[in-house]
Amino acid sequence: MWALAWRNVWRHKTRSLVAAGAVAAVVLFTLVFFGFVTATTNGMFELLTSESGHLQVIGARAREVQDFDARLIRDAQQVEAALLRELPAVRLRRVLEVPALISGETRARGALIVGVAQDEVLAQRFAQEHVAAGRLPSPGSWDEIALGAALARALQVELGDPVYVFAPGTEGWGAAAYTLVGLLAFPQTAYEIQAAYLSLEGAQELAAPSAVSRLEVHLVPERGVVTDAVIEDAKARAAAALGPAVRVETWREASPDTAAMLDLMDPAMAVFSLLIFVLAGLLVVNTIYLGLVERIREFGVIIAVGADRWRVMRMVLAESLVLVAAGTAVGLLTGGLLLVSWADGFRMPGLDEVLAEAGLPAVLYPAVTPAQVAVTVGFAVATALMAALWPAWVAGRLEPVEAMRHVA
Amino acid sequence: MWLDGEGAGFVKPILRAVGLAKVYENGDVKTPALQGVDLEVAPGEFTAVAGPSGSGKSTLLHLLGCLDRPTSGETWLGQQRTDQLDDFARARLRLHEIGFVFQAYNLIPVLTALENAAFVLELRGVPKKVRHEKAMAALEALGIADLAHRRPNQLSGGQQQRVAVARALAAEPRVVLADEPTANLDSKTGLALIELMKRLNAERGMTFLFSTHDPRLLEHVNRIVRLEDGRVVADERVGAA
Repeated sequence: MWALAWRNVWRHKTRSLVAAGAVAAVVLFTLVFFGFVTATTNGMFELLTSESGHLQVIGARAREVQDFDARLIRDAQQVEAALLRELPAVRLRRVLEVPALISGETRARGALIVGVAQDEVLAQRFAQEHVAAGRLPSPGSWDEIALGAALARALQVELGDPVYVFAPGTEGWGAAAYTLVGLLAFPQTAYEIQAAYLSLEGAQELAAPSAVSRLEVHLVPERGVVTDAVIEDAKARAAAALGPAVRVETWREASPDTAAMLDLMDPAMAVFSLLIFVLAGLLVVNTIYLGLVERIREFGVIIAVGADRWRVMRMVLAESLVLVAAGTAVGLLTGGLLLVSWADGFRMPGLDEVLAEAGLPAVLYPAVTPAQVAVTVGFAVATALMAALWPAWVAGRLEPVEAMRHVA
Repeated sequence: MWLDGEGAGFVKPILRAVGLAKVYENGDVKTPALQGVDLEVAPGEFTAVAGPSGSGKSTLLHLLGCLDRPTSGETWLGQQRTDQLDDFARARLRLHEIGFVFQAYNLIPVLTALENAAFVLELRGVPKKVRHEKAMAALEALGIADLAHRRPNQLSGGQQQRVAVARALAAEPRVVLADEPTANLDSKTGLALIELMKRLNAERGMTFLFSTHDPRLLEHVNRIVRLEDGRVVADERVGAA
């Protein structure tokens, strides 16, 4: 049956090649698109978690209140010690965020002072990604500051210039002078124009001695990637160890909109692919149906010599499956080769800033999972079956005597 | 029923039509093709249904071969009444009991002569090796074994019709129904084909019922059933050559 189907499909080479080519193109497109969706999802996850950690420890009421003091974790060192006892292999970033007024010699504006003390690996990564000029304030320094480049331009200050910070109503000095030692670049301009980085100690002296706004916990996978299951497990352990005085959140809880968007990407892609497969399926329907119409006499003979209706329907379905299988094989092969060729990363020239502004990585690493390949092949098989249903039904209902009298 | 050749007892017919009628309807127009045909064909007979165009020859063969349903009357294959069977049962009978040879050859163009001859066996699910052996034997019997691997478009009309006969024979049916098998052949080739079918009938005892309007072919049959306007007007037993 399959050999006959194969030969019948290629009776009209041009028509079959167009239909198989359409299937191949859709399979290729779907595979590559899945690859980029996976790359984008992974890239966004990496970006997000490298910026904010897999887990965040915040004040117990931090989500409910707006007041600066009420959101703080006051006994930061104790919390950190308890956390590290439970999760000794993690990397920590301690952050104290202080809303303040910042000024140069001539201009002033509102800013977000961010005091940071972090693991050396995290510090290096942060410096690599964000230091545009100069350096980060030294750990423990009380008089060094780095500004977002846009903020520095707004204040008309340059490296080495004095910068003044006012944080009235806080528990520290409330005001201090710093020397600008670094300019920072961030993909989001809105953040770059308000970000001013101090050492954690500097920020604590300014506004809240011994306190932090949050602890960012960066999990280090033993192998592979950090999965949601690993994160949830770490969260449960941390929450149990730290008690009700603080709140432990996963990156999903800290950034629910982004998490929801990432979760939607695969299903959205699947629906999109399904629509494209439907369009390709119309070409397959056309090919199979025309093949049927041209061979009505032949089907009449096949029925006459003893094939029952199910057998005839199976023959038509087999032709559709053969046609789509040929296209799918070509699509999988070319798609696979393309993905392999991008294994070292794919960068869209000139779009780095646009992607960064959207929170997307500049270099993508397209890859597909076995499930995505299975979905692609499943769509192709479904297309073949759905496209052949109607022609098969028509063929199955042919009356042999009438069919053998048919003139195409 | 007939006495068998030895006179030892009655032979039950392998094909039987009882009061068979078929009316084709096209809108309000009704065209009677058969009008109360009674016919019995004994096993091993080599029978021709003769008559002018439109006399109902093809319709009779179609009804006896379970390809169509009568408007009224009965059709029987052996002890099985066939006109009341459902489509699947009729398809099974055609597949296992009846061989067909059509006027227009009706070979499957993408298959070779061998594959065409083996096609019915493939539908029956016979393993490839066995069905190719049987098909090749049928092609050899018809003298076209050397054309086994050619496609229909590489064969002459006569050769294609031999392949069609081989397709019917390879499956070793109880009855072969041939609808004007020589109509598209020149007289010499047509005569040769009839001689061939006659030989197979004699050697294998296979029952042949074929329609024709060519009087020269009628000299080679045992029995001639003449139809006119859908009625049997004569049923002659003749001494075949």
